Amino acid sequence: MTEVLIKADSLKKIYKSFGDEVEALRGVSLEIYKGESVAVMGHSGSGKSTLLSIIGGLNPPSAGRIEIDGIDLYALSQEKRADFRREYLGFVFQQFQLIPYLTAMENVMLPLTTTSYSAKRKREMAEYVLTRVGLEGKMNRLPNQMSGGEQERVAIARAIVNEPPLILADEPTGSLDTKTGQEIMELFHELNSEGLTILMVTHNPENTASMGRTISMKDGRLCADQAEVVPLAACKAR
Amino acid sequence: MTLFQIAINNLRRRKSKMVFVVLGLAIGIATIVSVFNVVESMREQMTRQMADFGANIVITPDTGELAFSYGGITIPPTLFDVEQLTMVDVDKINELPARQMVRAVAPKLLGVASSGARHVIISGSDLQSEFAIKPWLRLQQSGEMGEASPSPKDMDYEKLNLAREDISAVSLTDGEVLLGATIAEELGVMPGDTLEIAGMEFQVFAVLAENASTEDNQVMMNLAVSQRILQRPGEVTVIELSADYSLGSEDALLDQLNGALPHAEVISLRQAALGRDEMVTRLTRFGASVSILVLFVGMLTVAITMSGAVRERTREIGIFRAIGFRKSHVATIILIEGAVVSLLGGAVGYVAGLAAARGAGPFLSGMEIAVPWSTGLFLAAMLLAVIIGVLASLYPARQASRLDPAEALRFM
Repeated sequence: MTEVLIKADSLKKIYKSFGDEVEALRGVSLEIYKGESVAVMGHSGSGKSTLLSIIGGLNPPSAGRIEIDGIDLYALSQEKRADFRREYLGFVFQQFQLIPYLTAMENVMLPLTTTSYSAKRKREMAEYVLTRVGLEGKMNRLPNQMSGGEQERVAIARAIVNEPPLILADEPTGSLDTKTGQEIMELFHELNSEGLTILMVTHNPENTASMGRTISMKDGRLCADQAEVVPLAACKAR
Repeated sequence: MTLFQIAINNLRRRKSKMVFVVLGLAIGIATIVSVFNVVESMREQMTRQMADFGANIVITPDTGELAFSYGGITIPPTLFDVEQLTMVDVDKINELPARQMVRAVAPKLLGVASSGARHVIISGSDLQSEFAIKPWLRLQQSGEMGEASPSPKDMDYEKLNLAREDISAVSLTDGEVLLGATIAEELGVMPGDTLEIAGMEFQVFAVLAENASTEDNQVMMNLAVSQRILQRPGEVTVIELSADYSLGSEDALLDQLNGALPHAEVISLRQAALGRDEMVTRLTRFGASVSILVLFVGMLTVAITMSGAVRERTREIGIFRAIGFRKSHVATIILIEGAVVSLLGGAVGYVAGLAAARGAGPFLSGMEIAVPWSTGLFLAAMLLAVIIGVLASLYPARQASRLDPAEALRFM
């Protein structure tokens, strides 16, 4: 029996702004198993990024409970949650989000900054993952000296350098051309086949082809959860 | 990769902004350093001038509260029953380990004796020493008696020539006296005249130029003769010393004097005079006020610039937090940046302050002051800069550490 990695139970999130309340999540429950690759699809405002940020320990839910590897995420203090993110999660953000004044190598070493590894060990780990994503020879370049695809690879290398069990990716191919996007998706597929669990938010139905399971969201609710692509049009019928 | 490297890399990227912060702090530190340097150099210069000027330590019998004033210096009346100073005390001073600091020891006996129908103040001393510690003393040239008065130029301390060639000429025999300008006029005597004091005949060796001080009213003679006339063998009333503080510690000398002469009161004129010097005090106060103000503005510059930088780096800080940096890690980065920038500001400020003190110091103080490099002051300036910089970075650091990562990354 495959183990559950993420267990979300009746997650709700309400944003308050100038007296108005916006319900971003209206009771989302789901389970994601270790080794799965899951795409979360949905229109803008459907709540998929909010779900990702809650699972990522960055955004406390208004109600409900989320466990990752049996750990009740929001029962932890903020600082413990930071430690949790460092050990359990790898983030791949929209538009790469590299630190502009750090080289590819330094960007990748960032999650290791606050660990007790030696400087040599940190460098070895960063070199290993940069080579793994095909960036050997470009490790000392600054982000602005690299193409979009290369920057995305640096972002992925940064997400996996601390060997987390779970990768959270937010529109990882959104800023890339189709060909580069496909290459990146292949990279995610390879990482998943090596045992990493991947949860990816995406607009692009093509990205779901290489993902094992697709969840569709609409208006803060899950409207489909299956191992195949569900056209968004199908959500409307439900 | 360390937090320090992240901070340094960020500073490198934001050079132009950081230049403002460095300048803001540097101006504050430069102000403090220049004011401090000018005031300290003035004090030092004044100390040196006082050393050149003459006596800077006066030793009198310890009389408790029974005392009267002599030329602004408290000395005891001979009438009181106190343990007088003696030539033995002078010998003790000459045997002190710190004796090499003392350029001249001038013991003297003061007293009153009759001269005909009136009384005169007698001052018995070794005139060589007396002239050494009172370089303003001048002999009247023949023909200018009664009208001689040192011109301001003569009294200009810096123009005083301690090594006057005429010192060796001022040597009295036991039958000679030297008169102050006022007493000579009152007695109506001139150099070469004879004068009867306490039944003894003396020849007037010379008359001092009027100098508006105690000496104008005194009849000066050799110490041994005065002890005989006043019938106080071996006694002295006051011992004046001229110490050169560039040769050793003032405190050590004073300690040794107090230890060797427990029955005497040792007064340091330098300390008293410096304490009284209003110009230095006022300059210090004014300088301190301006420095604090400028430093405060520097601190605000750091705080505002760092705070602005934190706002610009919202997303970056969100990334740090998302990938597992604790709040304290983020705050540490900002504080390191503040400290590094402050160190630069401190160094630039010290050098600028030193240059300003060297350039404007003589003009500000009206003295020929020399402002040396001081490693101690340099380190103090750096420390002060870092304290100010880190204090000013506390708010931006707190601001950064409290950023909501979800908001920073626009997940909301």
